[in-house]
Amino acid sequence: MKNSISLTRGLLPLFGLAAFIAFWQLISGFYSHVVVPSPAEVAQTLWTLAAGGELWEQSRHSILRGLLGFCLAVAAGTPLGLLIGLNPVAASLLRPLVVVLQVTPLISWLLLAMIWIGFSRVPVFVVFVTTVPLIVINTYQGVKSIDRQLLQVAQIYRISKPRVIREIYLPQVAPYLLAGVSNALGVTWKAVAMAEFLSVQQGIGAGMAVARINLETAALFAWTLFLIGLGLVTDRLLACVTHHKLKHWM
Amino acid sequence: MTVVIKFENVHKTLGPTRVLEGFSFQAEKGKIMCLVGPSGCGKTTILQLLAGLELPDAGQITGTEGLKVSYVFQEPRLLLWKTVAGNMDFVLRDAISPARRQELIAKYLSLMGLYEYRDSYPKALSGGMKQRLALCRALAFPHDLLLLDEPLKSLDMPLRLGLVRQLTNMWRENPCTMVFVTHDIMEALLLGHRVVVLSARPATLLDTVDLNLPFEQRNIGREPLPSHYERMLSLLEAESMKSLPYL
Repeated sequence: MKNSISLTRGLLPLFGLAAFIAFWQLISGFYSHVVVPSPAEVAQTLWTLAAGGELWEQSRHSILRGLLGFCLAVAAGTPLGLLIGLNPVAASLLRPLVVVLQVTPLISWLLLAMIWIGFSRVPVFVVFVTTVPLIVINTYQGVKSIDRQLLQVAQIYRISKPRVIREIYLPQVAPYLLAGVSNALGVTWKAVAMAEFLSVQQGIGAGMAVARINLETAALFAWTLFLIGLGLVTDRLLACVTHHKLKHWM
Repeated sequence: MTVVIKFENVHKTLGPTRVLEGFSFQAEKGKIMCLVGPSGCGKTTILQLLAGLELPDAGQITGTEGLKVSYVFQEPRLLLWKTVAGNMDFVLRDAISPARRQELIAKYLSLMGLYEYRDSYPKALSGGMKQRLALCRALAFPHDLLLLDEPLKSLDMPLRLGLVRQLTNMWRENPCTMVFVTHDIMEALLLGHRVVVLSARPATLLDTVDLNLPFEQRNIGREPLPSHYERMLSLLEAESMKSLPYL
């Protein structure tokens, strides 16, 4: 009885997905394939893109650009978040800038980057500027939530400052940082596609731009599905790593 | 008497609360001093001042300069992302060579009945086991001054008595200065060379007893412990009445 209940619960997301596809199929019957292509048509286009190699070629560019911008954001944002959390002067100086970065519209960054650094580097730059505030703010929140009692333990046992940062601060900041990384990864794929759409000839965004010009709505859906899949896979991978690393104490 | 630690007319306010007002006392080198007093009277603040975690607002604390301090806090304060052995290694790493460190970790974990849990994380331990691990950590760290803030409070009575014996044995091996805060008068009488009873906040000395009886001759039912116990208990009852006048 218990097994059948858990099996049903496990299958619920699939039922939801099946219902969505059925609804999509129904709607596509009422409209032209240029407006709403059917699920079968989109699947066929996705298959054609994959079999022809275009899907992998374009996504290779997007993934590399996305990961480069994202890694740069993590590499710069983590120490910056630690600095803002640990140093009140740095906090007063840099927090407003981080907020400015966060609220600046994506399109402004896109256009400015085209002028400042040339079209080819725009996607990496846009991913960096949109994800770095998420990393900084989450790291800062982590530092603010540090257990002060453990710092007293370190003071009593004369633990050196680098070890305090490595062994007390970082493990406590890690859950916050990982939440920031998870958000940033989600933003990465959206930002890279948007930047490629407007600035370069290769990548998923560029593929979408071509599909738009040719009114290939099925291809637009296919690229979108692929981006969603990419986001889900990277999110799951990160969740696995997080669970593996933090399972003993979270 | 060699006085190493001296509080002279110490004042300390925490937030709106005046915890100590002109508080003075002395602790003798290489002896165990037990502080007993009602809840909130300032016992923990005295330990924090001794450890240098708090500074006095006025008055002087002398004799603690340059001392290596070990501290068992009221809460275990463990690093949840490190194993039982890892928590001990954390405090010992900069102070002791690797080979000696492993030996000490094994020794103290065995003494406290935690050796088989050395690779477990604190999450898997009971409250009492966590407190014992905190005790292990403090005892293993090389110290001149050991501060213990109700270290046995979450343990059952037989284990408490066993650990009091264990502490006296360890003190014989390493006769450091120990300041032991407790609510349990009998625990203090079994362990202390000197037992000090504190009043309700702001703390003053109500009673001081020096016990010259060897540890192995101290017994709950044997004089002079029961007489001291009776007197101290009535003093503490009177203090509690002051803070809880409706009783």
